[in-house]
Formats: sequence, structure tokens, C-alpha cells
Amino acid sequence: MRTRPIDLTFGAVFVCLMAIGANITVWFPFLAIPIGGATVPLSLQTFFAIIAGMMLGKKRGSIAMITYILVGTAGVPIFSGLSAGPMQLISPTGGFIFSFVFIAFFVGWIAEKQKKPSLPLYSLASLVGVVFNYGIGVTFMFVAMNTWLEIPITYELAWISMIPFLIKDIALSCLAALFILQLGKRVPSEWMHVKAS
Amino acid sequence: MNNALIIGQYVPGNSLVHKLDPRTKITLIFFFVFIVFLANNVLSYSILTLFALVSMVISRVPIRFIMKGLTPIWFLIVFTFILHIIVTKEGSVWLEIYSFQIYSGGVFQGIAISLRFFLLILVTSLLTLTTTPIEITDAIEDMLHPLKKVKFPVHELALMMSISLRFIPTLMQETDKISKAQASRGVDFRTGSIKDRAKAVVPLLIPLFVSAFKRAEELAMAMEARGYNGGEGRTKLRELKINARDIAVYLLFIAVIAGLLLTRGY
Repeated sequence: MRTRPIDLTFGAVFVCLMAIGANITVWFPFLAIPIGGATVPLSLQTFFAIIAGMMLGKKRGSIAMITYILVGTAGVPIFSGLSAGPMQLISPTGGFIFSFVFIAFFVGWIAEKQKKPSLPLYSLASLVGVVFNYGIGVTFMFVAMNTWLEIPITYELAWISMIPFLIKDIALSCLAALFILQLGKRVPSEWMHVKAS
Repeated sequence: MNNALIIGQYVPGNSLVHKLDPRTKITLIFFFVFIVFLANNVLSYSILTLFALVSMVISRVPIRFIMKGLTPIWFLIVFTFILHIIVTKEGSVWLEIYSFQIYSGGVFQGIAISLRFFLLILVTSLLTLTTTPIEITDAIEDMLHPLKKVKFPVHELALMMSISLRFIPTLMQETDKISKAQASRGVDFRTGSIKDRAKAVVPLLIPLFVSAFKRAEELAMAMEARGYNGGEGRTKLRELKINARDIAVYLLFIAVIAGLLLTRGY
């Protein structure tokens, strides 16, 4: 596949959207949503990673996510909470950052299979995205806690601590499926073509 | 904040650490993350701490910038320390408060793990404090070069990094503008159920997408017009070079690893 300039610039835009999504509460503080006593700051990273997979497809989508990780590691404050640097990847929540690559890849893989945009398939793709997000993120957290922080926690406890976030991200992934259909109606169709020439 | 988005955490300077080749710095930090785990006694930890502190001092980065990187993780370090004091029951009893005992093993382990954490943050933040994102981008492009053999788009990735460095501040301003524009039209985000609030996000995101992709399209067209056709045969404005000081630092680092292997207890 020859890479056209538009593939590069669209990928770069998704890096920026991820940066905005990670810190959306900077602009919209009302998006911190209370769930069961705890306030969960809404972050749209998973949402945008899913959309990246749907719009760019598996290959370009996952490369855009790798770029996001590298730009953040290079010190530009684009990870959640305006943080940056290599330390973010090693810290217990670093697995969630790595998982974006897999989200975009597998969501893109499913989205590329369909011929016409359909809500059920987009919803399925989004949910698969969330599964990868938490499967990788929580496992990484569990391993990081037990190995280099040497805090013995059980795998169940790691999952339980993530439940409020999981609820939020499942809701957002449903929104992602609705959103991409809405977006498809409003923008030029060549933007939405998943299959690259 | 806008400034931070362009230059990252970079603190301008002229020290040895600033002048090192970015590839050298990335390589050393990559290995440092692993060798930190080799330390397991007082002597080996002192070697690591000495290495980290010396690099910090010769980088001449003001201490407050380093502390800034620590703030978000500070509580995790303290939490780890306290947890280890409570949980670990090895060695002799040092302190007894009612029926609660603090063991020497717990204190040592707590200190060791917090120190490991601290050293990791210190050394990794030195990379982003002394290197601009553009330098890191150049270094990554060069270091990933072998991956071209397996058809991984290395040049494209690096160019995408540069483009996004340029786009991030612009699109963040755009987000600000759109939120104000929608608020002035009376979109209410502050009240209502979670469902209503989530719905209010859509009129923000669609204009953001449209404006972002319009920019991307324009830039792509400008690139085409100027005859961009991939990385083949492209020359570079900034060339990376390994100097004598890089080799000296590599040798020093190998000495640190050797020191660690000799002093660590098995």
C-alpha cells in the first residue's frame, strides 16, 4: 500500500483528537461524572481509539495510535491528566495506553469486514475494543503491581477497582457506534472510506 | 500550557546531557528501566542512586522541573512505602504500637521499592527534560530504521509525529472555540442526567471532527502540490551524529552495569 499524504495527515489528526479526548475535562469540567460515590473523570481516549479503527482501518488506525504513544513519550503532555514521558508507560496504568494500538487494530479489522455501515456491527466492534482495552490494561496493572511495585493484589481486585471506569467506557463505546453513523451522514464520503487505495 | 504543547517538558540548556545524541539517551534509559531491577542490596542501590544523581546534577535542570514530574506519582510512592511497612513481616521487630508491629524487613523493603520507583522517574524524566520532542522524533525514526525490512512505515510514522506536534496546539484552541460557540448558542452541558450530558458532547465533537479533517485535507493537498512522495531519497535538515562524548557515556553506563552485577547479592 502506497501511503498517500492524506493517510499521514488523517493519522496525525487522530493523535491530536486522542490528546484532546484524554484531557476533555480541561475544556468541559462538567464531564466528570459521579458513579457510585466516586467521581470518574470522563476521558474519551477509548472512544477516539475506536473511531480511529473505524475511520482509518486496522493498519492506519493502529499506526496512528503508535504515533500517539510515541509523541506522548517524547514529552508532549497528551496523556490523560496532561501527563507525558516514558514513566507513564511503565506506571501501573501504562497498559491502557498500550491497549489503544490493539483497540484500533481489532476495531478496524471488524469494521473493514462490512460492506455497508451498520449499527450492530459497529456496536460489536466497539465492544471488542473495550474488551481489549480492559483485558490488556487490567492485566498490565496486575502484573506491574505484583512485580515491580511488589504490592500483592489479586487479579479479581484489579478488576474490581476498575469497574466504575469499565461502566463508563462501555457506555462510551455504544456512543461511538452511534457517533460514527451520525458522522458518516455529515461529512464527505471519501473521509469515511475505511478501505484505502 | 500552549508552550508546553510545543516544546513538551523540555528545559533549554547547554549541559553535557543536553548535548548527547538523543539516540544515546533513549538507549540508556531503555536499559536503565531493566537494570533498576538488578539492585537488591544497599551497595547496588547506592551505585544506581549515584548514577541518577550525577546525571541530574550535570544536566543542570532546575530541581523544581524534576519535582513537577514527581507530583502526580508522589502519593503512589508514599502509599507503596506504607503498604510494605504494614504487610511485610520479616526481620526483627523495630517498633511496637499497641498490637501493631513494624518489622525491620518491612522498612527496608519499603525504602528499596520506593527508591526504585523514584530512580525510574528521575532518570526517565531527564530524557524529556533535556531533549525536544523533535529531537526524539528524529532519533525514533533512525532507531526504528531496521523495521523497514518488515514493511513497517518508519518514515511515515516519524512524519506523522511531526505533523501532530504542529496540529496539537491548533486543535486544542479549536476545541476551546467550539465549546464557547456552542455555549453561546445555548447548549446546556451543566445540568441534566448522564445521558443528557453525554448527548451534549455530540454537537461538540462533530464540528471538531469536521474542522480537524478539513485542516488535514488541506495539508495533504499542499503536500501533494509540493511533490511529496514518501521517504525515499529525502535529505534531512538535522543530521544525528554519535560523538566521542556519546561513546564515553556508553562506557560509563557499561561500568555501572558491571558494578551492579558485582555488588548485588544473589
